[in-house]
Amino acid sequence: MSLLFYIFSGLMLGFGIMVIVCRNPLSSALCLVISFLGLAALFVTLNAYFISIIQILVYTGAVMVLFLFIIMLLDIREEKSKDWNFLAVGGGVVVLFGFVVQLISVLGGYEDGKQKMVPFPEDSSHEDVKMIGAEIFTNYNFHLQVLGVLLLVATIGVVVLSRRQGKEGSENN
Amino acid sequence: MPAYYLEILILLLGFTMLGIEAFSSNRSRSGIAVLGISGLFVVLLFLIIAVPSSEVPYDYWGIYHVDKWALFYKAIAILTTLLVLVLAKDFSSAFKKYTSQSNEFSGIGEYYCLPIFVCAGLMWMASAKDLITIFVSLELVTIGFYVLVSFMRRNVGSLEAGVKYLVLGALSTGFLVYGIAWIFGVTGHFDLSGIAEALNSGEIEKKPIIFAFALLMVGLGFKVAAVPFHIWVPDVYQGTSMPITAFLSVGSKAAGFIVLLRVIEPFLNSPLTSSSVILILSFLVCVTLFFGNLVAIKQTNIKRLLAYSSIAHAGFLMMALPAMESGFHSKLIGPSPMESISFYLAGYLLMTMLCFLVITIVSSLTDGENIDDLRGLGARSPLLAFAMLVGVASLAGIPLTVGFFGKFLLFNIAIQYAVFSGSWYIVAFAVLGASAGFYYYFKIIRAMYCGGAEQDGDQLALTISTLSRVVIIVLLAGVILCGVFPKLILGFL
Repeated sequence: MSLLFYIFSGLMLGFGIMVIVCRNPLSSALCLVISFLGLAALFVTLNAYFISIIQILVYTGAVMVLFLFIIMLLDIREEKSKDWNFLAVGGGVVVLFGFVVQLISVLGGYEDGKQKMVPFPEDSSHEDVKMIGAEIFTNYNFHLQVLGVLLLVATIGVVVLSRRQGKEGSENN
Repeated sequence: MPAYYLEILILLLGFTMLGIEAFSSNRSRSGIAVLGISGLFVVLLFLIIAVPSSEVPYDYWGIYHVDKWALFYKAIAILTTLLVLVLAKDFSSAFKKYTSQSNEFSGIGEYYCLPIFVCAGLMWMASAKDLITIFVSLELVTIGFYVLVSFMRRNVGSLEAGVKYLVLGALSTGFLVYGIAWIFGVTGHFDLSGIAEALNSGEIEKKPIIFAFALLMVGLGFKVAAVPFHIWVPDVYQGTSMPITAFLSVGSKAAGFIVLLRVIEPFLNSPLTSSSVILILSFLVCVTLFFGNLVAIKQTNIKRLLAYSSIAHAGFLMMALPAMESGFHSKLIGPSPMESISFYLAGYLLMTMLCFLVITIVSSLTDGENIDDLRGLGARSPLLAFAMLVGVASLAGIPLTVGFFGKFLLFNIAIQYAVFSGSWYIVAFAVLGASAGFYYYFKIIRAMYCGGAEQDGDQLALTISTLSRVVIIVLLAGVILCGVFPKLILGFL
C-alpha cells in the first residue's frame, strides 16, 4: 500500500507541476487530467471508493472535458514565452520554501499525526454512498441548502457574463 | 418571529426580483431596484421592531445561533445591501456604457438581484457557529462578488479586477479550507464550542494547532483586507463599479470581522495558544496600520485612496483583537472589544456609504475618479460637498462625528491593553496611522473647497435624485448624531 501511495502521489505532484510549466494550454489541461487520476487512486487506497469514482466522473470526466472543449473552441494558441519576472518568481519560491519548511517541522514533531489509520470495516453495513447521503441530508442539510443558493448565484453570473450583447455588441463574440 | 426566517425572507425577495426581471417588459429595470430597496427596508424593520426570537429548528443546532451580535451584524448586512442598491440605481446611467449599447442586454436587472443573495450569505456568516457553515456562507458571498466585480464587461479595468479577485480569492479559499482541515484533524471538531473544549482539554499539541490557526488567518485576513493579504484591494476597488466597491469595503469587511471575532475567541481564551495568537495578531495590526495609512498618502485616484483607507480601518479594528484575551477582560474599563469593534463597523458603514454616494453621483456625471475631479464641488453643489466633508472628516476621526467615537473606543482599549501587557508599539503605530490619515483625507477636502473649477465646462449642474437626496441627508444626520450621542448605536449592543 505504501509503495502505491508514493507512486500515485508522485504522479499527482509531477503532473501538477507540469500543468504550470507547460506553455500549451491543451497539454496543461491533459496534465491536470492525469493529476486528478492520481488523486482518485489515492482515494481508493484510503478505501474511499465513492469519492474516488466521483473524482473521476465529475472532475476528470465532466469538468476537464469541458475545459478541453473551451480551449479548442476558442482556439487558444500556445502562450509566448514571457520574460521572467525574477522578483515575482523569487517571492513565490521564498513563500513556498517557508511553507514547506513549516509543514515539515509541524509534521515532524506531531505524535498524533503518526498514528495508523483505523482499518475500515468492510462489511456491507458501511456503504459509502448511503453514509455520505445520510450525513448530507441530515446533519449537513442546512449547508446543502446554502450551496443551492450558491449554485443559483453562479448560474446567474455565468449567464450574465457570457450573454450575447445584442446586435450592436455582436462584434465582441 | 424566529430570526432564521430573515434569511429566507431575503432569499424570497431575491427570487421575486429575478422572476420579475425575467418577465418584465420595462427595459429600464429601475422598478426592480425600488422593489429590492423597499423589500430590504421591510426586512430591516422586521429585524429591529419585531425583535426576532433566538429559537432555531432542530437541524440548525450546533451550526447556527442567534445572539445580539448575530442580529447586529445581520442588520449591518441588510443596511449595507440597501444602500448598495441605492448607489446602483444612481450608477445605472454610467453602468450601461460599460456593458452593452442596447438597454436590453445590459444585465442591470441581475446587477440589482445579485447583491440580495450576497446579503443572505453575509447574514448566515453572522450566525455561523461552526467552520463548515462559515466556509459555505463565505463562499456564497465570495462567488457573488466574483460576478459583481467583473460585471462591466466592456471595461478592461473591471475585467482585470474580476480576474485578480478570482485568482487571489481562490488562493485564500484554499488556505482557509486547508486550515479548517487541520483544525478538524487536530481537535476533531468543526463547531467552535467543541474546538474551545478541545483546546482547553490539554490533550492536543501546540505546534499543529498554531499552524492551523495561521492558515485560517490567511483566509480571513484576505476577507477583512489585512496586510500582507491586501494586495488585491487597491486594484479590485479601482477596477470595479462604484456600488460594488462600497459593498466590498463595508459588507465584506463587517461579515469578515464577525467571523474573525468568533473564530479567534476560543484560541485567545486557551492558555495553550493565547500567547502565540496574540503575537500573530499584533504583527498583523502593526503592518496593516503602517502600510494602509502610509501608502494612502500618495494616491491620487479616489477609489484607490479609499481602498488604502479601508485597509487602514481594518488595522484600527484589529487593534482591539488582542485585548479579547481572557485575563484582560475583567480589568477593562469601558465598552468591551466586541462592542467597540461593532460600534466602529456601524459607524464605518455610515461614513463610507456617505462618501461613496457622493462620489458615485459626481463620477457618473463627470466620468472621473481622481481627487482633482472633486475640485470646486463646494461651489457646484453645497449639499454634496458638505456630505463629503462630513464623511471624510468622520473617516479621519474628527470630533463630533461617529468616526471619532469609534477611534476613541478602540484607542481606549489599545492603551489599557498596553498598560496591561506592555504592547505600546501597537499604540505607537496607531497614532502614526491616525495622524497620517488626517493628511490624506484633508487632500479631498482641500480639493473640494479650495481649488476652483478649472474651466466653465466643469460647471455641469449636478442633479441628485430624490431618493439619493433623502439617503444622503439620513446618513449625514446619522454620522453627526451618532458622533454626538454614541448611545444611539451602543444602545443596541
